[in-house]
Amino acid sequence: MTEFLMLDGGMGTILQAKGLPLGGIPELWNLEQPDIITSVHRAYVEAGADVVYTNTFGCNRLKMARTGHSVQELIAAAVTNARRSGTKQVALDIGPIGQMLEPTGTLRFEEAYEIFKEQILAGQDADLYVLETMSDLAEVRAGVLAAREHGGGKPIFVTMSFEETGRTFTGCCIPSMALTLEGLGVDAIGVNCSLGPEELVPIVEELCRWTTLPVIVKPNAGLPDPVTNTYHFTPERFAACMKPFVEMGAVIFGGCCGTTPEHIRAAAQFIRSSHPVERHPVIPSAVCTPNRTVIIDQPRIIGERINPTGKKRFQQALREHDTDYILGQALQQIDAGADILDVNVGLPDIDETEMMQTAVKAIQSVTDTPLQLDTTNAAALEAGLRLYCGKPIVNSVNGEESSLNTVLPLVKKYGAAVVGLTLDKDGIPKTAEGRFAIAERILKRALSLGIRHEDVYIDCLTLTASAEQEGVMETLHAVERVKKELGLRTVLGVSNISFGLPSRELVTRNFLTMALYAGLDLPIINPNTESMTAAVRTYKLLAAIDKNAEDFIAFYGTEQKPAPVQNTTSLTLGDAVMAGLKNESGSLTKALLAETEPMQIVNGELIPALDRVGAEYEKGAIFLPQLISAASAAQAAFEVIKVYLSEHSEGTVDRGTIVLATVKGDIHDIGKNIVKILLENYGYQVIDLGKDVPCETVVQATVQSHAPLVGLSALMTTTLPSMEETVKLLRKQCPWCKTVVGGAVLTPEYAQRIGADFYAKDAKETVDIAKRVFGA
Amino acid sequence: MMLTSVDRKQAFRYLGLHDSPDAVMLATADRCERLLLAAVKPRFAYQVCPLTFTPEGILCEGSTLLLQGQDIRTHLNGCTQGILLCATLSAGADTAIRRAGAEDVLAGMMTDAMASALTEQLCDCAEKEILAQFPELYATWRFSPGYGDLPLAVQGDFLHAVNAGRRVGVSLSDGGMLVPTKSVTAIIGLSEHPIPKGKRGCAVCKAAASCPYRAKGEHCK
Repeated sequence: MTEFLMLDGGMGTILQAKGLPLGGIPELWNLEQPDIITSVHRAYVEAGADVVYTNTFGCNRLKMARTGHSVQELIAAAVTNARRSGTKQVALDIGPIGQMLEPTGTLRFEEAYEIFKEQILAGQDADLYVLETMSDLAEVRAGVLAAREHGGGKPIFVTMSFEETGRTFTGCCIPSMALTLEGLGVDAIGVNCSLGPEELVPIVEELCRWTTLPVIVKPNAGLPDPVTNTYHFTPERFAACMKPFVEMGAVIFGGCCGTTPEHIRAAAQFIRSSHPVERHPVIPSAVCTPNRTVIIDQPRIIGERINPTGKKRFQQALREHDTDYILGQALQQIDAGADILDVNVGLPDIDETEMMQTAVKAIQSVTDTPLQLDTTNAAALEAGLRLYCGKPIVNSVNGEESSLNTVLPLVKKYGAAVVGLTLDKDGIPKTAEGRFAIAERILKRALSLGIRHEDVYIDCLTLTASAEQEGVMETLHAVERVKKELGLRTVLGVSNISFGLPSRELVTRNFLTMALYAGLDLPIINPNTESMTAAVRTYKLLAAIDKNAEDFIAFYGTEQKPAPVQNTTSLTLGDAVMAGLKNESGSLTKALLAETEPMQIVNGELIPALDRVGAEYEKGAIFLPQLISAASAAQAAFEVIKVYLSEHSEGTVDRGTIVLATVKGDIHDIGKNIVKILLENYGYQVIDLGKDVPCETVVQATVQSHAPLVGLSALMTTTLPSMEETVKLLRKQCPWCKTVVGGAVLTPEYAQRIGADFYAKDAKETVDIAKRVFGA
Repeated sequence: MMLTSVDRKQAFRYLGLHDSPDAVMLATADRCERLLLAAVKPRFAYQVCPLTFTPEGILCEGSTLLLQGQDIRTHLNGCTQGILLCATLSAGADTAIRRAGAEDVLAGMMTDAMASALTEQLCDCAEKEILAQFPELYATWRFSPGYGDLPLAVQGDFLHAVNAGRRVGVSLSDGGMLVPTKSVTAIIGLSEHPIPKGKRGCAVCKAAASCPYRAKGEHCK
């Protein structure tokens, strides 16, 4: 039987009324005015609160740095002050860190984790931990993991702040919050701050549909007055607002900004006169990122292209740490219709754990499409799960004991969904019965570990029709049984069916349709092949999933004739590059490769075209956007040449290596990216370290690659000191390398002063400098 | 706050596109504008506070914000109140810029320039909406930390004074940058008397000496 739990109300506003100076730090009063703090807690206890929150909302090492007191000292005092109030329970209150995490901010996930860990360790005398007023799901995850791993098993409550749109400031939606946090094993979730109780009704309603956990409601006393920022709800009005929340089944209540002990007294009276409403929400199979939830209630496409198996160009990209290439593959599949992306970055000769982290971070920084982490390396899997923000799919576990024992605990800990492969130590059973039995075994084990039934997806394994023709229908029968008898979602890697046959696309497409009819939910396919995504769209239309054929018509109804292709017969590659025509540059390069040596194309066509564009730019006849446009077209041509070279094992275009970075503290990287594309156009190998790069990382990359030239970019005056520091460290540790610096606020004088070898006013000049350093 | 289109003229100027854009440029602009507008959640918050002129600087009452420097003193001369404004396009703008840049460097630049233009549009709308509440007062133009000799270091106190973290989700990075990046803080002075047309733009701009716009005889705004 569920019971109500009453939390306390606002702290900051009350302290101000008691003389805390505006702009003062409330946490300091834990030491300076302990009696006042205890008296506020006591007032809430007397008003009927079962739990009081310690006065530690901003008590982290970043915010407390200027107080002269340690987090340990302040939190210990705060817990004591709370305890002295005679409360039944003390909650260690933890608010947002106050800095945004990557990729929008500069704080790293691991740093956020350490900050929270310090708070949790300092507050272990509390009875539970509360993360509140949260907006960024990545930050919440760091806090929850710190509390789970260092909190001694005490309960964890999380409340986030939503706008009326049902999203937090960072765009996190309610289903994603619920799926992710319930998966991570927190004990209660809900909302606080931001809105008044009336505006929170639809938000709490949605939350109640998406979680089986107790739901917390801790609203402000109405909306703030826009000019004075004060709150106006009377205690009676505030209490009356609790009614719909009680009816929806919320069970934990309190107040946030503008609420006083009187608000809590009135709310407590109202709530204690009511009865808790039992909820029995049915949470569907679903995966998510903070901003997007994909419900597996119909066929959803998993894009298979982020996988180096059999792809030389992809392997090359992994070895060169070329994340842009991986991102390109990700975005292309999403544009083509992928709902989820499989991410496999394993190669025998690379550090898969590090690559998995890099890939997950990079992909999540540009898309909100959920990911399926595909690896057999447990360390890489855990590293990916730890960083992934949201609820991912793990691909995969199988029926072998060692696999079940390694993979499933990770799935449980990080709240993922998991693909179970129907094979075990004896291999893949020939019959549907055999595979069904393994599926059943995997499910049973998952359930015993507390993994939800809805989070187990089964892959009945596609065998190659050319080799095992009889096996095709066995796979489909197994899919049917797993779906019907176990009620589980099903996955299949579809493309394998046609291996070794002519007209592969024809075979694969028909098998896909048959599998969908048999009950396949998650086809793993190449979405860039139009006929594959078309088969899924058509199936959804015919199976009446796409109601009134809305999606189908939206997609195909306005089918346009392809735009008239430019008359490419008269167009040279140089012309196409100069006009910024990406597609044409690519196709003309392909055509040229039939009869021309790749390096001849680079030296004879591309570079002269770029030189012409560069000269026009310097004359002022064209401007930066046109220069970039031409560079992008040249890049498309280069990509074709790279694929050709990797397929023909002819090495790469390489005029020398250059390390590029935007300095520590600076998150603007467009300027650096422009420099990068131009340098690559001229055949230089660019090691792109990204933005906000610590000086040690620059030095490390320069040492490892022995690059003769390092380019550093900074846009803000505040980050120029980082540039200076980096240049100095390079001078000391990499005496062989030259440095070129640039960026909006930089001047030649400043460049000279900090000891850089060159100042480049723009990307074009950086290329000229590179030519001088490497010899044109 | 809804913004339905990007001021392209401004965005193209930020990009340094001076002649009429060609077809590739226009197609890129169309796509970037669509994606950007879908990604952003423009919002702003403000705090009106009495101003006290002290020898150390101008104190924004009710906060720890002290505005130092000669330029802000000139700017707020005669003003009794200040509107502290914090406006942001939200983290969605940063994501849109990153995503566009991952597809194509030109699209990344274009989206970035459009987001900058859109931020200005947002500030204009916010200013209009706020000033409508003070029809009897005269207002200065918006002055931001980093203009003239008003140090960027006040950003932290500025955000605190507006409670920008809680109200609009804007924070300061370790390096002292506003996050999300397409965010602005600015103060508008309010006076009971008409305000003489003060020095503006280039006259107080630290970049005036090396400004590419000025070199062409233009302004950045």
